[in-house]
Amino acid sequence: MERAWLLCTVIVPLHLIALALYGLATALALAPFIGLRPAAPRALAIAFPCAGAAAHVVAVSQLTLFGLGPALSMLALCLVLLQLASERLLRGSAVSFFAGPLATGLVGLAILSGLTPGAETATSRNAWFVMHVVLSVLGVALMALAFIAAALYLLQFRELKARRFGQIFQLFPPLERLDQLNRFALVAGFPALTLGVLLALGYGARFAGEGGGGLQAAKAQIVWGLFTWIVLGWAVWVRVVRHWAGRRAAVASIAGFSAVLLVYVALKLVEPGVGRFL
Amino acid sequence: MTTHAGMGIKVLGVNHRTAPLDVRERFAHGAHEVPAALQRVMAAGASGGVLLSTCNRTEFYLLAEDEPALEAVWALLGERLSSGPRGEGAAREYGYIERDRDAVRHLYRVSSGLDSMILGESQIQGQVREAWEASRAQAGPVLHRLFQTALHVGSRVRTETGLGVGTASAASAGVAVAGKIFGDLAGRTALILGAGDMAELAATCLSDEGVQITLVANRTQERARAIAERLGGRAISLEEAWAHFATTDIALCSTAAPHAVVTWERVGSVIAERRGRPLCVLDLAVPRDVDPAVGQIENVFLYDVDDLQTVAAQATARRRDEIPAAERIVEEETDHFWAWYGGLGVVPAIKEFRSRMDTLRAAELERALKQLDHLSPDDRARVEQFSQALLNKFLHQPTLALKEAAEQGRGYGLLEALRRLFGMEPPA
Repeated sequence: MERAWLLCTVIVPLHLIALALYGLATALALAPFIGLRPAAPRALAIAFPCAGAAAHVVAVSQLTLFGLGPALSMLALCLVLLQLASERLLRGSAVSFFAGPLATGLVGLAILSGLTPGAETATSRNAWFVMHVVLSVLGVALMALAFIAAALYLLQFRELKARRFGQIFQLFPPLERLDQLNRFALVAGFPALTLGVLLALGYGARFAGEGGGGLQAAKAQIVWGLFTWIVLGWAVWVRVVRHWAGRRAAVASIAGFSAVLLVYVALKLVEPGVGRFL
Repeated sequence: MTTHAGMGIKVLGVNHRTAPLDVRERFAHGAHEVPAALQRVMAAGASGGVLLSTCNRTEFYLLAEDEPALEAVWALLGERLSSGPRGEGAAREYGYIERDRDAVRHLYRVSSGLDSMILGESQIQGQVREAWEASRAQAGPVLHRLFQTALHVGSRVRTETGLGVGTASAASAGVAVAGKIFGDLAGRTALILGAGDMAELAATCLSDEGVQITLVANRTQERARAIAERLGGRAISLEEAWAHFATTDIALCSTAAPHAVVTWERVGSVIAERRGRPLCVLDLAVPRDVDPAVGQIENVFLYDVDDLQTVAAQATARRRDEIPAAERIVEEETDHFWAWYGGLGVVPAIKEFRSRMDTLRAAELERALKQLDHLSPDDRARVEQFSQALLNKFLHQPTLALKEAAEQGRGYGLLEALRRLFGMEPPA
């Protein structure tokens, strides 16, 4: 009863507010590229996602981090926070060109998937589990950020090589900064995801055989988790050990993230349901 | 434009719109020539003067009557074309005069970059400041205030509008393009091929952004050495330059060669050693110095003059959209200045004038009454009233005229006349 009230009065309305504000921020980010108006004032481009993230944080704090909806919502929030941080770093709003629609779509999907789990379990309240979810989602969000930086890099690279000086040239950050962002996102994402996976393993071993308190992971989750970890590890390896940079590193990031998404979709089709994130 | 003569603010000179480069060059005054030129104009009756001389303009800002200070300026400029009245006449043909409010607006537009050859360029702000500082001794309070506010207007236009945003010359466009590849240019290295004016200008632009000009290659070593020394690099021969394409971040090419000197054969294998590190090649030469095939190499970003001019033109087009907003600021600030200038010291001057006249009246009355001892106290009072009434009648018209002139922004000229006629001290 209390959860239903919370869902109706706090979680869903705040998600809708976040959705609207992310949507506005996305519209502002995309407007110059479709010739609607010049670049929005920087203050506005920051204020909308900031306000959306504030509402989103309150909503997520009330969520039980179990199931597809909460996982997507959490991923969207991480993405928006990373977008804000990286835009401060890049002194531009180009990351929102991809992150905006992605976060808006993820929040929309989260609302449609349902934001409350079927049943609240002892697992969902365990600090180990919460840490596992937060770190894993952060790892995936950083991987998405690396993908975004790589996509921006390739677009800017193409414009610079083709000697076109349009909106992309004007509004996108310099190549080297995008390359640095890609590298940073991968290098920071790998330990986060690794820690998330290790926490899941440790948690499973610690609470094995304790009924509702134990970790109940489906085979698909384990397969996808390991696959994502391996792909991210490979991306970090080629950047750090093999010293890939620039265009080659960008292509590798995009290929890696696309593979992770494709495997997720394939596994989701094989094992549908919203009780778990996969 | 007002057409009245008399004491007021005037600007006269030539600029990039009224005179070609070869004429402007002859009118240009070096910093060491400014004091003498201004002294000559001041000797001809101007009570304040500032000389602004840049590659695009030579302008005398004066607080003067139309004649003969303005004649002195035309004569001074004319001498630089040819001696005698022919030169003076020719100078007038290239020149212009703006008076009073239009002169104020003119300077505000100049300092904002609205009157510049490259719309919105910011260099002029520094040049206005330098001109003001070089002419401090001769400027006088009105021109001091005018130039001080002109710098404020320039800053306002640049911060409140997008008039100064973007790059508007091929050299600065090169810097912008390199910035889109490398981000922060500080600490990057550049190799300069050629040692002409264009190469030097572009190298200076790069150096201003923190790029280290490590090498300057040219056929004639002396010229290369001069630029290299000035920018902190080293001079090498063209043949030595090719090997450095493996390490430099930016290659700036501006030789006078009649054909491409940077060819795939010369630098292709060297660039392969970069292992994918980006190389920005700015080809400012016409005919081009760099074989287009070099631009096909992955991670080589090649831009020629046309590309850079496209970038510059885009910036100029965006700046044009900002003209109305900039003009609004100029107009608003012109109103402010004009209100200040119009009412400049009129109220205290009227007070001082009346007080001085009253002191005179009282002194003369006292002297007269000493000789009129026989008058009764009533008669003495009547004489005093008479003197008071007479003074009021005398001062009524000048006071009204001063107030009217102040409202029309011409108070300063009349005040100057008043001070001279009645020997009043100028305000501190």
